[in-house]
Amino acid sequence: MEQVIVNGLYLGAQYALIALGLTLIFALMNVLNFAHGQMYVIGGFLVYEIYGRMHWPFVVALFAAAATLAVIGGLLERFLFRTVIRRSLREESTMLLAAGVAYFLDAAILLLFGEKQHGVPKIVRGVFVSDNLIIPYDRVLVACLAILFIVAFVLMMQFTKPGRAMRAMAQDRVAAQLMGVPVEFYSLVGFALGAMLAGLVGGLLVTITGVNSGIGGPISIKAFTMVMIGGAGVVGGAILGGFILGMLESVGLSVLHSYGDITYLAIFVSLLIFLSIRPNGLMGKPWG
Amino acid sequence: MPALLALSDVELYYDHIYALKGVSLEVNQGETVALIGANGAGKSSILRAITGLRRIKKGSVSFEGQRIDGLGPEAIVRLGIAMVPEGRRVFPYMSVRDNLMMGAFSRSDSAAIRRTLDEVLARFPRLKERLRQAAGTMSGGEQQMLVIGRALMARPKLLLLDEPSLGVAPMIVQDIARSIIAINRDEKVSVLLVEQNSRMALRVSHRAYALATGSIALSGLSADLVKDERIQRLYLGGDI
Repeated sequence: MEQVIVNGLYLGAQYALIALGLTLIFALMNVLNFAHGQMYVIGGFLVYEIYGRMHWPFVVALFAAAATLAVIGGLLERFLFRTVIRRSLREESTMLLAAGVAYFLDAAILLLFGEKQHGVPKIVRGVFVSDNLIIPYDRVLVACLAILFIVAFVLMMQFTKPGRAMRAMAQDRVAAQLMGVPVEFYSLVGFALGAMLAGLVGGLLVTITGVNSGIGGPISIKAFTMVMIGGAGVVGGAILGGFILGMLESVGLSVLHSYGDITYLAIFVSLLIFLSIRPNGLMGKPWG
Repeated sequence: MPALLALSDVELYYDHIYALKGVSLEVNQGETVALIGANGAGKSSILRAITGLRRIKKGSVSFEGQRIDGLGPEAIVRLGIAMVPEGRRVFPYMSVRDNLMMGAFSRSDSAAIRRTLDEVLARFPRLKERLRQAAGTMSGGEQQMLVIGRALMARPKLLLLDEPSLGVAPMIVQDIARSIIAINRDEKVSVLLVEQNSRMALRVSHRAYALATGSIALSGLSADLVKDERIQRLYLGGDI
């Protein structure tokens, strides 16, 4: 029992961090970033290259992955999404663009990093063992780092001037503009930040699950699932959705495993029923 | 001395349909000027042209003698023009305090911002009681006070008000009218007031312009316009 809960919390922390990046971009720009999973994969491969192959310190690799993804996110906003938003009156245009970016990144990742699964040396060794709990220390560390990043992000959004400006923008873009918020600049910052969060989680998790070029799509699906559970565009909802999905997965894997690999089938069926009752998710409003 | 704000022969279109055709008006230092007219006459378009939310097609907008048409909204706020938008547009899920702090976004001296916050809270004591409440949960009248306070947080030289009496109880309209007069008098802020409630607008303003389908139909001292027969017939609904 304790094991199931601890596994759920471990998964939940990383999932929440994934969902935060997705929901931030949605809240600020009304863009559903289908390429979120691919950004995660790029983060994973960068840490693999820098830490796993070049043997630089893990922290340096993680930092480099985050910075690279921030730049990629910023460039995507500046040269693709901004121009499309400016020229097109239809919201679908950005969705199609995001899907196109996802396919492009998938192809680029395959070309650059190949199709093999890659892992890296453990960042810390050892396993915590007690009567009813077994947790490898590296998972503890990854979960703690994920929670640290979540807390840092929330504090930034709540208590700094750029954070306040981004919340205001998510709630009423025109009013924010009238307060003097340079909304285009903050769209760029938000997109960079969202991409950075995806890269950060990818870089953290490569130390445990490894990385391969095919997992971008499935990661995006998980990210969207969490945002659907919690409510799109809400920080609290993304965090809640992340922990709920982590817990469901953990419980499902231990309770349902005798029936075969049906955990996600069960999760999606429950999600469909849940969404038909509460289409806006648990906290469906912008920025609680 | 040039006018604080001057619009000269401004034309503005939405998708080839004109909203303003050759509007000229002025707001002088220290004045409260009202813009009255029916729905769709172009009152809000004038404010959009001033704040930079809409590009004008022809003419010019000047503030303190400088052309400002062509500047973006964030640059215009920094020059000292603050806007209270129609429909209030509070940030509904942010606290009253964060809403007010957003008003000071264009300023950077935090000690001075805190002083302005105290002044605004002294002017609207109701806001002080509700600093931590989410703005969207307040009544319409309180939200109107909040957005006026939010605009004052920018320490503007010119305050633009778009239909502040819309959708608030008649008693609150009196409060808002009193606030506008007091702000103009105490803070030396010039005011451009757009209103469908012409009676209220003419009472609080020094001068007024009456708009009809995209151009100025009448203008003059508010005290005279109240007695003007055409104004009474068109905007005040008969006898006062």
